[in-house]
Amino acid sequence: MGKRRPVVVLSSSSSEGQGEGRGGSATGGLESSKSRSRTAPPVSSKRPRVGKSRRVSSEASPELEVKFDWLSEDFCECLHEFRTTPGFTCTDGMELWVDKHKPRSLPELAVHKKKIEEVKKWMEERVKTPKEGFGNCALVITGQAGVGKSAAVHVIASQLEAELCEWMTPTPTLWQEYIHNTNSEIRYMSKLDEFENFVEKIRKYSLLHPMKIGGSSKPVILLIDDIPVTAGRVAFARLNKCLTTLTQSTQVPTIILITEYHKTESGDNATHYWEELVSSLERAGAYKVAFNPITVNSIRKTLNKICQEEKCHVTAEWIDQIAKASGGDIRHAITSLQYCCLKPDRFFSLPASSLSDSYCEMNSDKSNLLSNSSLEDGNPDCKISLPCGRDETLTIFHALGKFLHNKRVAVDLCARVAAVEPDSFPLQERFARNPLKMDTPEKILSQAHGQVQPIVDFLHENVLDFISDDEVDNVWLVTSYLSDADCLLGGVLRPTRHQLIPDIYEVESVAQSFAALVAIRGVLFANSKPSPSRWHTIRRPRLWQVEQSSRHNKTQMLLEKGEINNNSSLCSMSYIAAECRSAVKWLRAQTLLDVHKDENLLHYPEGREDNSDWSVMDQLKGSNSEESEEDDIEDW
Amino acid sequence: MLWVDKYRPRTLDKVIVHEEIAGNLKKLVSEQDCPHLLFYGPPGSGKKTLIMALLKQMFGPGAEKVKLENKMWKIDAGTRTIELELTMLSSTHHVELNPSDAGFQDRYIVQEIIKEMARNRPIDAKGKKGYKVLVLNEVDKLSREAQHSLRRTMEKYSVSCRLILCCNSSSKVTEAVRSRCLNIRVNAPTEEQIIKVLEFIGKKENLQLPPGFAARIAAQSNRSLRRAILSLETCRVQQYPFTANQAVSPMDWEQYVSEIASDIIMEQSPKRLFLVRGKVYELLVNCIPPEIILKKLLSELLKKLDSELKHEVCHWAAYYEHRMRLGQKAIFHIEAFVAKFMSIYKGFLIATFS
Repeated sequence: MGKRRPVVVLSSSSSEGQGEGRGGSATGGLESSKSRSRTAPPVSSKRPRVGKSRRVSSEASPELEVKFDWLSEDFCECLHEFRTTPGFTCTDGMELWVDKHKPRSLPELAVHKKKIEEVKKWMEERVKTPKEGFGNCALVITGQAGVGKSAAVHVIASQLEAELCEWMTPTPTLWQEYIHNTNSEIRYMSKLDEFENFVEKIRKYSLLHPMKIGGSSKPVILLIDDIPVTAGRVAFARLNKCLTTLTQSTQVPTIILITEYHKTESGDNATHYWEELVSSLERAGAYKVAFNPITVNSIRKTLNKICQEEKCHVTAEWIDQIAKASGGDIRHAITSLQYCCLKPDRFFSLPASSLSDSYCEMNSDKSNLLSNSSLEDGNPDCKISLPCGRDETLTIFHALGKFLHNKRVAVDLCARVAAVEPDSFPLQERFARNPLKMDTPEKILSQAHGQVQPIVDFLHENVLDFISDDEVDNVWLVTSYLSDADCLLGGVLRPTRHQLIPDIYEVESVAQSFAALVAIRGVLFANSKPSPSRWHTIRRPRLWQVEQSSRHNKTQMLLEKGEINNNSSLCSMSYIAAECRSAVKWLRAQTLLDVHKDENLLHYPEGREDNSDWSVMDQLKGSNSEESEEDDIEDW
Repeated sequence: MLWVDKYRPRTLDKVIVHEEIAGNLKKLVSEQDCPHLLFYGPPGSGKKTLIMALLKQMFGPGAEKVKLENKMWKIDAGTRTIELELTMLSSTHHVELNPSDAGFQDRYIVQEIIKEMARNRPIDAKGKKGYKVLVLNEVDKLSREAQHSLRRTMEKYSVSCRLILCCNSSSKVTEAVRSRCLNIRVNAPTEEQIIKVLEFIGKKENLQLPPGFAARIAAQSNRSLRRAILSLETCRVQQYPFTANQAVSPMDWEQYVSEIASDIIMEQSPKRLFLVRGKVYELLVNCIPPEIILKKLLSELLKKLDSELKHEVCHWAAYYEHRMRLGQKAIFHIEAFVAKFMSIYKGFLIATFS
């Protein structure tokens, strides 16, 4: 019975909805979501989040009652105050596989062994030995969603027979509720306030001291899973401070789970703060363990196991696809699998065939770019044909790196010629390229959520670094494609025709996406012999700075011009910039020379002065290189 | 005040260079009916001078009392209101502005301003309804839309408003606008004419011009009178009394462009292109118009080029100059031209020497 104990979970409905892999979860109809009302009596407010999360299995109902006894007292108490939300009672068959197939023992965890060991060791140390020995009692586990952070903690805790006490996220207040409450004069309390109160209480009263919980001598571990969402700097600072003080002063082993977000995934700042939070917690003395995305192999293994248990037959290919598409998110993978098994007949009939077809094609003519790309265009990717794939996101720099490095599958010429299919175009030698070692550029672009203009600018700024030195022709090709892209964009961005909300079907946005593709594919195509790959930093386009300062200079010049002569007519910018200004510069310099004869002041703009130095150096360098060039020529 | 402004002829009678045009204009205005006018010609040929003299001829000294103002225009364009700030120069009789400064919104400027001018129609002393003159500079830089709306407003308000358009190349002005104007081509002055003007200024300034010095300045000025006068003034500042073989220094940006050209000739590689890009940025920061950079760069490159390549290089320069107009960011196209040149030149070198 060691591991299989009944569980009573006090968890909020919101957390179930998000399914953060909460340890305790729905079982045999007992579980129902409860939310603590604000007027909880002292007893329950002292221990509202004592979620005794333990393993649950479907056959566990008899034990439930047994174990329930010692809990029943305050549990029932709680129940009175908790509003039970109906609707989460599931029968066995309908249960989510994610919950049903929760890992129950350490070997079942899909997380990397070393990480588990790390966490386990930490917990063991805190649980087994008296806590005075350790200065810090906090552990931060980071990792993207669905890598099994909570699951690992729960499994390990149950191994160590420790109690997990969770902070229960209060249910979000609906607007109607808020209105209702204000009418009945209940003050609204923000979730962050509640969280702060909670943390404050733990620190002050050490409520979670083992001795206080029903006399049980089990060690207690505090688990903070769902950190309140913070909007804006101020709220975040509060949260940060709150967690930091908790980390510094907690007497109970505390585990804080932080979900990593991709930066590009959402624009709002709240998701950007996690890094800062982690680092400040670390500074406060917390021990950090970072969970990596789960490897495809272990996801595959888990899925296979579930398939066996559920007795449903899914082809290995599908499992493979699901595992790959999940992007290291095991919860997602399991849900996808369940979805796939829901209606196997309908689901598999059509796409499976096309999938296998495309798969064969992909393998067979890796060498033929054209048919390959046409295939990919029609049916962008096998992953996407999966109805439940988790779309990966890329950072824009990642995408740029892919485009610029331009990695291709090495195929020798003979193979390429041999592999040309009869129905495809025979390409001339100079147009043929090896297949790309990446997804189609269109897909990468859509994953990166990139805006067109910045991408083109970045490509323009950086592409020259990636072209090997001798390939001047390729340089021209690249630049000419970029120039094409700019022309396409030039038509677009004239905001006389530009609308605030671009429609997908508008001519502009079509032209824009084409511009991006022309630029990207142009760069990919033209750079046929990339320079040997090495570390390049991707620079910020200097063009942006140039445009800004040129605008600044322009206004500056117009002002100057106004000072110099009484305007009898307006002058064109080109005249001012190109002729008038340099003449005026001479004049100015002269008058200055007249004033201070000793100072040899010439009023050049700073940039220009540097350049004159450069140019001298360039000439020196140039003369050297010219000599060497001539030598080369003679050698030939 | 620069000499260019100081010795600008104020009236049509005093014009030295384009005497014939000045005479015709005078006749035109004296007959009291002035059509819309379109002055076109290369820079530094005297278009603006003629226009200002013409205005003075039309309205008397009042045309010279101008004030410069930055006016905010609130334009109701269908769904939204656009606010535009535009510098304009106005007297009681005329308004001068550079509509292309408004960028892509130039169309609204053209419509709105002309409308407003038509509203405030002046009545002259004799109680006769007069007309105002609107001087639009750089018409060739106007967008196509703006030129179309210019055409419409031209017809609608032609009773109360005369337009004087000024541009470098009439080919960039739509046919419709051109046919509604009297086109006046202002030639670039010949070198003899420039020498004459330079000597005139020299006399006024009490300068000793060594023989041949004015001719050298004129030869370097690329037949731009303005340029010649500016050079004369800078030479005066650099060194006076003049010596016979005094160097006429080119503009600093021109020097810079020729450095770029020699960079390009020396080495053709991605790295070199990157270096060139940096230098072109430097020019752009200083507001040198990209078209001028490209043109100058081409002429510098042509100087150093084998004649069999010249045709092709010119072709590509023209091609990318056109693209520059279609696109937005000039640097892309300048760079593409440089890369193309490098590619051609390198191919040529290999073919010749190996």
